[in-house]
Amino acid sequence: MRNYTSKHLAIRSMHSARLSVLPFFALLLRSIAVFAQAAEGEVRYTVVHDWVKKLAALEYVSAREREHAAYMWGNRSEWREHMRLFFSPRCSKYEEAQEKDVEQAAYAWRKDPLLFYRDFERQRMFDIVKAEGRLYLIEDSLYCPQWKVLNDIKEVAGYVCMNAVWEDSLKGHRVEVWFALDLPVPAGPEDLCGLPGLILEANYNNGAMVVTADQIDVRPLKAELELPKTKVKGRKVSLREYREVVHKYITEQKKAEKPWFWGLRY
Amino acid sequence: MKKQVLLSLGFIGCLLIDHLSAQAPSRITLRGTIAIDTFGEPAALATVMLLNPADSTLITFTRSDERGVFAFKNLRNTAYFLKISYVGYLPYQQYLPPAESETVDLGRLVLKPIQRELMEVVVRTAKAPLFIRGDTIEYDATMFKVPPGSTVEDLLRRLPGIEVDEAGNIKAQGRDVRRIYVDGKTFFGSDPKLATKNLEAEIVSKVQVFDEKSEIAQLLGIDDGKKERVMNLELKEEFKKGAFGKGTLAGGPNERWAGRTSYNRFDNRHQFSLIGYGNNINETGVNWQDYSEFRGQGTFQAIDNGDFGFGGMPTGIYFSSSEAELLNTFDGRGFTRNAGGGLNYNFDNKKTKANASYTYNQTFLDLDEFTQRDNFLNTGAFNNTDTLKRHSFRGNHRIQTRFEHNFDSLNTLIIRGDFSLNRSDDDEQRHQRFFDGDVPARTINRISADNDADQRSRKLATSAIFRHRFKKPGRAFALSASYSQQFSEQRERFFSQNQLLLPVERLERLQTRNLSDADEWQFKSSALYAEPIGERWFWHTFVNARYSENAANRQVRAPDQNDTRIDSLSVFYTFAEQYYRLGSSVRYVVEGFNITVGLAGQQLTLNGRFARDRNLPLLAPPIRRSFTDLIPYASINLEPIKNLNLDLEYMYRVSAPMFTALQPIPIFTNPAFQSTGNPKLGPERAHNVGLNAFYWDEASFASVGFYFKVDWFDSQVVYNQRVERSDSLGIVTLSRPENVAGGQAMWSYWWSNVSIVKNRLSVSLGGNFGRRLSPAFINDVRNETDDRSWGLDASLNFTPNPKLFLSANGNVNFNNIAYSIQSDLNQRIRNFSAGASAKWEFVSKTFFEGNFNYRFFRNEAFDFRQQVPIVNASIRRLVGPKNRIEVRLAAFDLLNRRIAVNQYGMQNFITTSTAPTLAQYFMLSISYNFRGHVAKAEGDPEGIIIF
Repeated sequence: MRNYTSKHLAIRSMHSARLSVLPFFALLLRSIAVFAQAAEGEVRYTVVHDWVKKLAALEYVSAREREHAAYMWGNRSEWREHMRLFFSPRCSKYEEAQEKDVEQAAYAWRKDPLLFYRDFERQRMFDIVKAEGRLYLIEDSLYCPQWKVLNDIKEVAGYVCMNAVWEDSLKGHRVEVWFALDLPVPAGPEDLCGLPGLILEANYNNGAMVVTADQIDVRPLKAELELPKTKVKGRKVSLREYREVVHKYITEQKKAEKPWFWGLRY
Repeated sequence: MKKQVLLSLGFIGCLLIDHLSAQAPSRITLRGTIAIDTFGEPAALATVMLLNPADSTLITFTRSDERGVFAFKNLRNTAYFLKISYVGYLPYQQYLPPAESETVDLGRLVLKPIQRELMEVVVRTAKAPLFIRGDTIEYDATMFKVPPGSTVEDLLRRLPGIEVDEAGNIKAQGRDVRRIYVDGKTFFGSDPKLATKNLEAEIVSKVQVFDEKSEIAQLLGIDDGKKERVMNLELKEEFKKGAFGKGTLAGGPNERWAGRTSYNRFDNRHQFSLIGYGNNINETGVNWQDYSEFRGQGTFQAIDNGDFGFGGMPTGIYFSSSEAELLNTFDGRGFTRNAGGGLNYNFDNKKTKANASYTYNQTFLDLDEFTQRDNFLNTGAFNNTDTLKRHSFRGNHRIQTRFEHNFDSLNTLIIRGDFSLNRSDDDEQRHQRFFDGDVPARTINRISADNDADQRSRKLATSAIFRHRFKKPGRAFALSASYSQQFSEQRERFFSQNQLLLPVERLERLQTRNLSDADEWQFKSSALYAEPIGERWFWHTFVNARYSENAANRQVRAPDQNDTRIDSLSVFYTFAEQYYRLGSSVRYVVEGFNITVGLAGQQLTLNGRFARDRNLPLLAPPIRRSFTDLIPYASINLEPIKNLNLDLEYMYRVSAPMFTALQPIPIFTNPAFQSTGNPKLGPERAHNVGLNAFYWDEASFASVGFYFKVDWFDSQVVYNQRVERSDSLGIVTLSRPENVAGGQAMWSYWWSNVSIVKNRLSVSLGGNFGRRLSPAFINDVRNETDDRSWGLDASLNFTPNPKLFLSANGNVNFNNIAYSIQSDLNQRIRNFSAGASAKWEFVSKTFFEGNFNYRFFRNEAFDFRQQVPIVNASIRRLVGPKNRIEVRLAAFDLLNRRIAVNQYGMQNFITTSTAPTLAQYFMLSISYNFRGHVAKAEGDPEGIIIF
């Protein structure tokens, strides 16, 4: 019984009691289970945006303006969207989920094309993202953030996760993520990747944008993981060129003391 | 010599070091075995990471195999920080210095388990992060709910792994807690219970448990190996609290003065604010900035009128200016003295939103106005001049409350209540002269009228809405009910004298004393049900019901004839209205395309009775009118590309006549213009089409929009006129509402806003076009007035540098009115305006603000030309720490030319009026702002702003 906890948590199944009686099988099963489960699947993320907190994170906007926004809109500044991620140890695909938020169920807005595709095997990335009102098709070798791994533990969507932090110098974000110890896939939501486990929660700038996994479906995938043949027309750029566009825009907005996040994905 | 020896020694030393380091391999292999106990039970598939020891940056990672073995090959030989994480165990960390051999075997690394309860309860059940800082385990206290007023002890009892016995002694993970720190400091000596029994749980944000060297060891500086379990309570940063406020006092020659103050206090749940103002410079309220800060999060209200319809459940937020009596609404005419103030409270904890405010505002108005009016008949014309002098007072008390509670994500209740008390006193004198249409014009008669009216009213409006969303997305139910009541009474003294000059001289006098009261209540209720049909279809059904009752009494007496009632002018009526509507619509939605089609049936029933007074017999048989209509509806919302919206809506509108338009009793305050109701009047029916197009560029904020709306009337309520020239009264206009077929009203406008040089130069362009075809009978001859208006406006903003802000604008408005009965009387009204303004920080913290505005009004038919050039200028300086004080010297209307001008035409008349208003004045103001003033040229001054 002494390692009951670890087995129970790792397997995350109803069989824990029986398994704890049979430690050998338990270990065997766990390995199989982890390999089988962690191989691939689909995650649904809920993204909660809070524009007042986004504004609060912009040091270059006057404190007065940030305070005013918080005072007027403090508890009404949120909106949410749903995203989905298909993942496997070979690659991952992050895009908008089909389902809509309950509050907007009876209305359908036009959506911008959006895709974050990561190929871990060939070390390539392919993104479709809108910046400054223009679509960019980014194709380049894989880029993942420089993570600082911390020690804290919490549960997200049934998985025990550890945390790590990334200070993004381009957008000035501090992103705290929680990655699952037993989903050994270096994938994650948005453009995040490169940790020993699947990222299940990402918190940008203390709640300005929070991406949380709320449904994880571990199952074999087929066509879902293929790079979609997109008909989207946009400017084909390298990651470097795209980052230059972002940098230029943020610098301009900084100079004008205006928020940049209305014109870019956060 | 010594130097040389040292140098050569140093050289040899370098060589030696070089030689030694060359022996260390450049690439290494690192391996180890992970176990979960000292017996060697392996940790299979544990995550093994190598971090940069300087900043914990992740360099590489791997997993252990089934036997707990891991290996990193071909590693650069440098220092690493090894980290192993394994579910249920404390993260393992070890510093690895650069290796001396090519293979480093770390041997067996044993992980320590996290206590099962902590893992199960904290991490899995409470979903609270378990913070591990070395040997410290930290609980997030805010994740463990305790009732308000609980002590820390109550909180600790809820934390897994912590036990508190009857006496209050604490055990953490099985060991006694010897000491408790609060924010790292000893709290009231060494008895842990003092802290836990006295502190409130609400102030604690984190509970940390760790082992510490014993006090003796700490004191002596000798580690005796004994460790004591201690606990630290980290307190919450106080609720985000704050306050801001400001005040302005201003004065100038000719007793011009103004004052304004506001104060706000808030934390993350409560907002409390006060506001007050007073002046004699025509600011009947405060500006938008001050008003919105006063109302805070209550400024914008959710759309919750409870009138559900074709659109389904209304969503979004809006600002209703009718709820903002403290806002400046001065119309530019006359002279006012104003005062007002209020207090506001908002509460919001996401689940419950509550808002309450009280406001009071009052205005004294002195107005002189001169109006010229041309009236066209089927044959000939007449005109009149009207000189009005009015003194009036308006005072309003208002209480507004709103409460919203979200029971959970599916159920919401909203309750609103609004109460107001209003008083108005009007004293007005009017002199009118009527001329015939001949050249030269001859005066037919002169009317002088004095009217002194005092009115009191009180109003109550309450409503409740309950919304339920079902788990199935798109399925929803909503129910609303509202009750409102209004009471008003009015006392009037009226005196008029009509002096006839043609054809024979004669004098008519009328003196009356009028008492009126009106009592009205209304109850209404609506229900809505929305059901999704598949993925893309939604079906809405709604029902609206309304019932209202109204009793009004107007008793007109003649004081010069022993106060006898003047029967022809007195009336008492009761009036009830019933309204039912049942409708249904279907909507088809697919990304960027939403289409709705609906149909409703509605019935409106009006019941009314008339008598001379409350207890007198009816004057006419009761009026009972009922209108039943089928109302079609359609709308299309398109979003072909992101940020381009096209909305097209069709509606059939049926509006019931006002009851006063049904009563067959003449109502007038002016003997020359009398109106009598029409008991046979039907509702106004019109087809309405609206088109709205809007494009917005996310990055540059450039936008362009177009709006178009048109009404085709099946039946329009029109006040037909009969103009009589009576020998006893002169020219009398009798009007009567009637349904007339035909007519249309069209209105469109567009605007665009483009930045030419980013953040430097931007241009706005806009225009409008409207046309109204209104038929009306003038002395039984059908006249169609064709009223066309065009407008064009442009503005330009230029910011050459952050210290200078320039803008220019221009505007033209044309209005052509054509009358089918007499085309030679067609009118052409022309209004032009142009302006420029500058804001300039010419010395640090010293700003110049100035603007020039020129307006020109023209109507050739009247030979009317009026130019109004206005120049304002001010200098302000910010002083004191944080720029808290602003001193401002301002000159308003330096040319002393301000005057209010209004020109408009309707039906068969056209009027032009002018009214003097506050022109040149000077003010010195001083403002204090807690938060400091904005030290920017673009920022608005907080002194007195009227331009």
